[in-house]
Amino acid sequence: MTPTTTRAADGVRPPGGTTPGKATPGTRPAPAAGRRQGRRETLAGYLFLTPWCVGILLLTLGPMLVSLYLAFTDYNLFDSPKWIGFKNFQDLFADDRWWTSVQVTLKYVLIGTPLKLAVALAVALLLVKPRKGQGFYRSAFYAPSLIGASVSIGVVWRAIFNDDAVVDKSMSLFGWDVGGWIGDPDWALPTLITLTVWQFGAPMVIFLAGLKQVPGELYEAAEMDGAGRWRRFRSITLPMISPVLFFNLLLELIHSFQVFTSAVVIAGSGTNTGGPGDSLLVYGWYLYEQGFRNLRMGYAAAMAWMLMLGIGLVTAVLFKTQRGWVHYEEDAR
Amino acid sequence: MGAGRWTARARGVRAAAAAVAALGLLATGCGGGSGSGDGKVTIRYSWWGAKDRAELIQKTVKLFEKEHPNIKVKTDFSEYTDFWSKFNTQAAGGNAPDVFQNSYAFLRKYGDKNLLLDLNGQADAGNLSLKGFRDGLEKAGDIDGKLLGVPVGANTFAFFYNPDSYRKAGVTVKDGWTWDDFFAAAKKVRKSDGTRYGASDNANVMYLYDLYLRQNGKAFFTKDDKLGFTKDDLAEWWGRWQQHAKADELVPGKKSEQAKPKASISADLSASEFTWDNFLVRFAAETKTTLDLGPIPTTDGKRTGQYLSSLMLSGSARTQHPKEVAQFIDFMTHDPEVGKIMGYNRGIPATTAQYDAYQPQGVDAKIAAYEKSVSAKLEPITPHPAGADVAEAAFLRIYAQVALGQTSMGKAVDQFFNEAESALGS
Repeated sequence: MTPTTTRAADGVRPPGGTTPGKATPGTRPAPAAGRRQGRRETLAGYLFLTPWCVGILLLTLGPMLVSLYLAFTDYNLFDSPKWIGFKNFQDLFADDRWWTSVQVTLKYVLIGTPLKLAVALAVALLLVKPRKGQGFYRSAFYAPSLIGASVSIGVVWRAIFNDDAVVDKSMSLFGWDVGGWIGDPDWALPTLITLTVWQFGAPMVIFLAGLKQVPGELYEAAEMDGAGRWRRFRSITLPMISPVLFFNLLLELIHSFQVFTSAVVIAGSGTNTGGPGDSLLVYGWYLYEQGFRNLRMGYAAAMAWMLMLGIGLVTAVLFKTQRGWVHYEEDAR
Repeated sequence: MGAGRWTARARGVRAAAAAVAALGLLATGCGGGSGSGDGKVTIRYSWWGAKDRAELIQKTVKLFEKEHPNIKVKTDFSEYTDFWSKFNTQAAGGNAPDVFQNSYAFLRKYGDKNLLLDLNGQADAGNLSLKGFRDGLEKAGDIDGKLLGVPVGANTFAFFYNPDSYRKAGVTVKDGWTWDDFFAAAKKVRKSDGTRYGASDNANVMYLYDLYLRQNGKAFFTKDDKLGFTKDDLAEWWGRWQQHAKADELVPGKKSEQAKPKASISADLSASEFTWDNFLVRFAAETKTTLDLGPIPTTDGKRTGQYLSSLMLSGSARTQHPKEVAQFIDFMTHDPEVGKIMGYNRGIPATTAQYDAYQPQGVDAKIAAYEKSVSAKLEPITPHPAGADVAEAAFLRIYAQVALGQTSMGKAVDQFFNEAESALGS
């Protein structure tokens, strides 16, 4: 075996048992050779990082800076941008449709996210105990979120909830006559929320992993003390998976704020903008419309930065409150 | 195993190199459009429309490539609004298609930004003939002396109605009828027809309101790029339709939203509707109900305010191959075979050569008869300033909110003026 122990330490855990991070310098070969070897590895490391570095500079940081600049300009994509200071931001606050888009998005996020997480957790609880066909059910429930971002699922949703389609017809059987759900300003957003709730697979998988980490002794002890199912869920499961819950909540919130494709596809971008009575005018769609249809790229950039501020704020608040309800094992010890 | 792996890797490297090269081409703004070693030139042609149009256009492109073996045409299509979003993105990146479908409403918008090829030069060079266009169309793409588009087909606004419903209601649609007659007819039809409303609520159609304004000596847009009507005018127009909608004579806002993407008339919700005459082709595919075309109601019993609008082909100002683009447009507008293939899919063919080559049948024959019947009434088209498309979208959307009961008339009118004026001002 030619590789030095450093390589073993970096990669695989040595059979002896020290964790990679705790590998002592003593186990390394002679210093000079080690440094050379180290430098070569550093170089190799950077070399492997290059695509990522180039990517983040060219495709993330660069565009972000440009977008920040554009947010303070009047830019129509074709003529060069004109500096107008904070005017875009002032216009935003005076723009009724901007407020509409904020409202629609907040409704979508505040109703959709908790519902989605609740469903994900409920299904994860059902699937966590070993039973026949478990693998099948897990994949079946996960499948919708795999294809969720794609246009095709939006098209299917549209077909299901359209005028005279399955949902409309079966509801009419029970005397509930809505007509086409996606064409009804009162029902379009609930339809969109149903779609996101249905795509609960990703948080479900994370919940599953979290649920498996809860030590079984806790339940046994609680059961001996006479705690019922609900009590056990509230006092053991929820606190024990609270870090996972926190992670899921954060991820789903950020994700929901950026909803775009499903709204556009469901409303049918070819004929509508914003859906019936702007009831599906989510933030991302309005941003896109201003930027690429109305050619107000500076305005769209300002919108994007407001969205980023909003998401940043929500994230910060969540992190502040996590002390109150998220329990990490280390805290207990 | 080793060798196989190496060839795979070599292939990967080659693919990566090709990708980098392609990116480089895109960055310099001539992606795909450059000529290759064998003297063959590739031009990109994009357009909007649905699948039926796609099949017809593929046929015409094949025909063109056969006649011009040195030119290859790459096609690309999407739906109307998606088309323009995509076009904007491509054009902003200096990568607009060499030649594309366009319409009068966009000529000034993109012409002002120097995105459109002035085809006058190519016409002078003999690559494009400007002769043989039907009356009123030879100057259709002329904006301030620049030829920014060449019409392939023309259409005009029409009144669509269900002859059975109207007959049952005892109403005859006749030349020179007035708006009062129209609303009275809608009311009668609603009373006698158990399933359909008398008319679709078309108060949100900018082109219809334009006709009404023209009948009253105004127009939607003025020559100096402003709105050609007052807030009171608009409140009166929208209010009138609202009054009849509230009396349950017109299709309610919610129902027409639910019927989308179908029009209310092709969803069998209403017995009449106003739109472009070539939509009869589409409606015939969407509904089994037979529809007829009738005259536009008037204010004074004479003037309908109608004009020919047209679908055009434009070239990109950045194209590397203006000559080939001109040859392509020339072929698409003049070749009789192309006329036979396209029929009235994009309106009635703009040149006499194509018009004569195609013998209209079925719904196409109805459209032809309709255009013949109104040809004497046609006037010059209302100018469309840059931003006209945004104003149109706002007009549609804001009235829909009125019809859905989401906003008051006063607020809606104010909002339309705000949005339209800022779109026209920019």
